[in-house]
Amino acid sequence: MDNKTIKEYLNRCSKCGGCQAVCPLYGETHSEPLVARGKLFLMKNYLDGNLDLSPKMMELMSLCLLCKACTVQCPNRIPVDELVLSIRREIAHHKGIPFVKKNVFQHLLQNNGRLTIAAKLAYLYQQSGLQWLMRKTNILGLLPGEIARKEKLLPRMAKIPFRAQVPKTLSSSKPRLRVGYYTGCLTNYVFAETGHAVLKVLKNHSLDVVIPEQWCCGLPALASGDEESAVLLARRNIEAFKKADVDIIITDCASCGSMLHEYGDLIGGRDARIFSQKVVDFSQLIGDVIDFQPGDKEVSGVATYHDPCHLCRGQGVVEAPRRLIKAVPGITFREMEESDRCCGAAGSFNLSHYHLANKIGHRKIRNVIESGAQLVITGCPSCIMQIRHQLELQEASVQVMHLAELLSKTY
Amino acid sequence: MLSTTVIKEIIKVVGKENVLTTKEELLCYAYDSTPRAFLPDLVARPCCTAQIQKIAKLANEHLFPLVPRGAGTGLSGGSLPVDGGVVVDLTRMNKILEIDEENLVAVVEPGVITFQIQEEVEKRGLFYPPDPASLKTSTIGGNVAECAGGPRALKYGVTRDYVLGLEVVTPDGEVITTGGKTVKSVTGYDLLRLYTGSEGTLGIITKIYLRLIPKPEAKKTMMVVYDKLDDAAQSVSRIIRGGIIPVTLEMMDDRTIRCVENYKQMGLPLDAEAILIIEVDGPQILLDSQAQEIAKLCQDCGAREIKIAETEEERESIWAARRSVSAAVVQIKPTKISEDISVPRMAIPRMVRRLKEIASRYNLELVIFGHAGDGNLHPNILCDQTDAEEMQRVEKAIGELFKAAVELGGTLSGEHGIGMMKAPYLKVETGEAGFEVMRRIKEALDPNNILNPGKIFRGDTNG
Ligand SMILES: Cc1cc2nc3c(=O)[nH]c(=O)nc-3n(C[C@H](O)[C@H](O)[C@H](O)COP(=O)(O)OP(=O)(O)OC[C@H]3O[C@@H](n4cnc5c(N)ncnc54)[C@H](O)[C@@H]3O)c2cc1C
Ligand code: SF4
Ligand code: SF4
Repeated sequence: MDNKTIKEYLNRCSKCGGCQAVCPLYGETHSEPLVARGKLFLMKNYLDGNLDLSPKMMELMSLCLLCKACTVQCPNRIPVDELVLSIRREIAHHKGIPFVKKNVFQHLLQNNGRLTIAAKLAYLYQQSGLQWLMRKTNILGLLPGEIARKEKLLPRMAKIPFRAQVPKTLSSSKPRLRVGYYTGCLTNYVFAETGHAVLKVLKNHSLDVVIPEQWCCGLPALASGDEESAVLLARRNIEAFKKADVDIIITDCASCGSMLHEYGDLIGGRDARIFSQKVVDFSQLIGDVIDFQPGDKEVSGVATYHDPCHLCRGQGVVEAPRRLIKAVPGITFREMEESDRCCGAAGSFNLSHYHLANKIGHRKIRNVIESGAQLVITGCPSCIMQIRHQLELQEASVQVMHLAELLSKTY
Repeated sequence: MLSTTVIKEIIKVVGKENVLTTKEELLCYAYDSTPRAFLPDLVARPCCTAQIQKIAKLANEHLFPLVPRGAGTGLSGGSLPVDGGVVVDLTRMNKILEIDEENLVAVVEPGVITFQIQEEVEKRGLFYPPDPASLKTSTIGGNVAECAGGPRALKYGVTRDYVLGLEVVTPDGEVITTGGKTVKSVTGYDLLRLYTGSEGTLGIITKIYLRLIPKPEAKKTMMVVYDKLDDAAQSVSRIIRGGIIPVTLEMMDDRTIRCVENYKQMGLPLDAEAILIIEVDGPQILLDSQAQEIAKLCQDCGAREIKIAETEEERESIWAARRSVSAAVVQIKPTKISEDISVPRMAIPRMVRRLKEIASRYNLELVIFGHAGDGNLHPNILCDQTDAEEMQRVEKAIGELFKAAVELGGTLSGEHGIGMMKAPYLKVETGEAGFEVMRRIKEALDPNNILNPGKIFRGDTNG
């Protein structure tokens, strides 16, 4: 987005305040600097030369979930999340990216070998009993900040990354489609079970599956203003899936999916556009492109569905996942209140703004509990991480799992 | 500017985390839903009446302005700190204290969002009718301070009609309670009415007793299309005289219709001069016949097309047209100046023609919609605030449209208040003597002019 377009959008805000009604951050804090209206006004003041990129300004601009709730309801159709991204880019450009993040975006995420080693170290830390010891003895409690509790938020790493556990191609006898599977980092390094579930469902539908070597989608970098790294990663993924020669590209991660859809605009050019056009969410492939054929095993229980921001508002996927849940034999579906309200995960927002994310998560769990469901189904690994942590904090005996896992239980 | 001593004192009262002083944060409390902005010196976010009292005492001691603020959705600049000072943000006082189902009263803090009150009472089969279009964001305190109205005002009245009691911190930091849970009360002056609609200039409202009524069982909605605006106005009058009071009777003029249709393609007739959206409510069994009766009256008045919603979806789609007006009209130009003059019902066609004439004389884009049932129109001028020359023409046109409203027996503001935006025009309606009475009330209650200076009275000499 160029400066002229940005200014035009900022000028369009009529300050009607409509965003207050939907912004999860405003809902918990009633703080005007956190709602879209406030942020847009600050950006306008910055562009008019009336404000600097002060530490306060940077903090306030980091306080956005990019959940698009304001964007879709804004009567003046202002793409608030994109404007926040553009100011973050500006901040990164002028102020640089914090050292740790820079290291992650520019080295770790662009090098799968190193990333795997990092994941292994994390796994060892968790397995060695060190984690257990630290949790039990509460040594972490002596550390500054919220490290102790945040540490619990961190997921248990997979012993071997998912992609190293499975072959790169899976053929079926009479394939209907050749599907490229973009696994996303969380499925690869943390939730291997989701990856296995996706494959199991695909296998039961006569599809060829290819899992080419692939890289982080680039969203974490972009969300921190590091467009350069995001572009690099995007190019690599486009290249990898082009070589794999697939009909369609699926992902099990709502955030990755929305980012992959952006490649066309981010990079431009034919390859990038074709790539983006091929991307669908797992639920769309199974629910819309082909007909879901559940197995005959029953899964009993009452299930509800949490709409990941990047799936419902990011990609317009609302109905397919619900239809699929209802098609599972034995499941009773019950809608929760505010199913499309952000759970507070928002990438790593729950790590950087732990308390605020907890408040937002608290509301999500209240809605889950009030729905009477024993099972929360969703379509994004970061939501799963956040919702699971919140359920633990509130000691609720509710399970959370990816849609693919639920479907795979029927075979 | 506030001295550091004063800032320290305020921090002592509300706590450090509830005091905002950085330029970035202050900027976010510099505006409301008008295009104007003024930087406060400090924002305080008190949690209770006692804290507000202390702040008011400090203000009188050190002579700095206090500007009460709800959600900042005001359309007359009421919560703008035009003289700087301390913005008192009331959104932390957001508890529903009690819903008394026996006495049909809700007791709430001022920062509760109006929609939340409605949701809570409706769960119990009760009803709080006032429904400003901003109800999902504006606070009940802001509604009381502005005496907000809404489409349902035709049948159910405005905020004032539901305020049974108030707890108020006076400008010098005392607390008074006026009214309470009783429906009748004639002890002394009617302070309730004085404070309701006082726009934050006479006291800070800290607790509100609201009258509730039983929730109507059902509603029925229809859309009526007219070739002639006069026929629409005639219908409005005939319907009300006929003894059925609809809950809402909303009107859109030709320009508005075209904007909405351009924006949303919902099949609205592009050549119609007016559309009325009419809704009746009450016991289910009565609604069909009421709707038929209204349809017949409209027909007699020359309606071209009448669509009665039979399903919830049809009802939704009729309201969707009305709801998308705000979004649709800003497609013409980005800045929307919303006025809310009110005229006697039958003067609507004359008022609309005057408005159109004024707009064309100043070469401005104007759409008109609003609450035809009670004569409260929202002429919206669409312009571009970065175009200084155009904004000057807007200023002049607004002056003329207020004059026209008063000449037709109407008023400057049906629901948005005077604030700072309409202050220069107040005397057009009140005259010198009326203005003087109000000014003396203000002076008597707030001799140091602490509370919300620069509102209502400025435009003249004494703020
Ligand atoms: C999109 C949109 C639609 C609207 N539709 C309508 C409508 O249909 N009908 C209508 O009447 N208005 C409407 N409004 C105007 C506005 O929403 C109302 O005036 C509302 O009552 C303001 O409430 P608020 O909480 O935002 O108050 P603010 O804007 O923060 O303040 C308004 C005034 O009240 C004072 N105030 C606030 N709280 C207190 C308190 N506790 N004690 C003392 N003074 C206080 C302030 O000082 C200020 O003068 C609309 C506004 C928008 C943006
Ligand atoms: S809803 Fe849109 S126009 Fe209204 S204040 Fe928020 S960002 Fe601005
Ligand atoms: S994107 Fe979400 S968190 Fe960010 S301002 Fe909009 S509603 Fe609030």
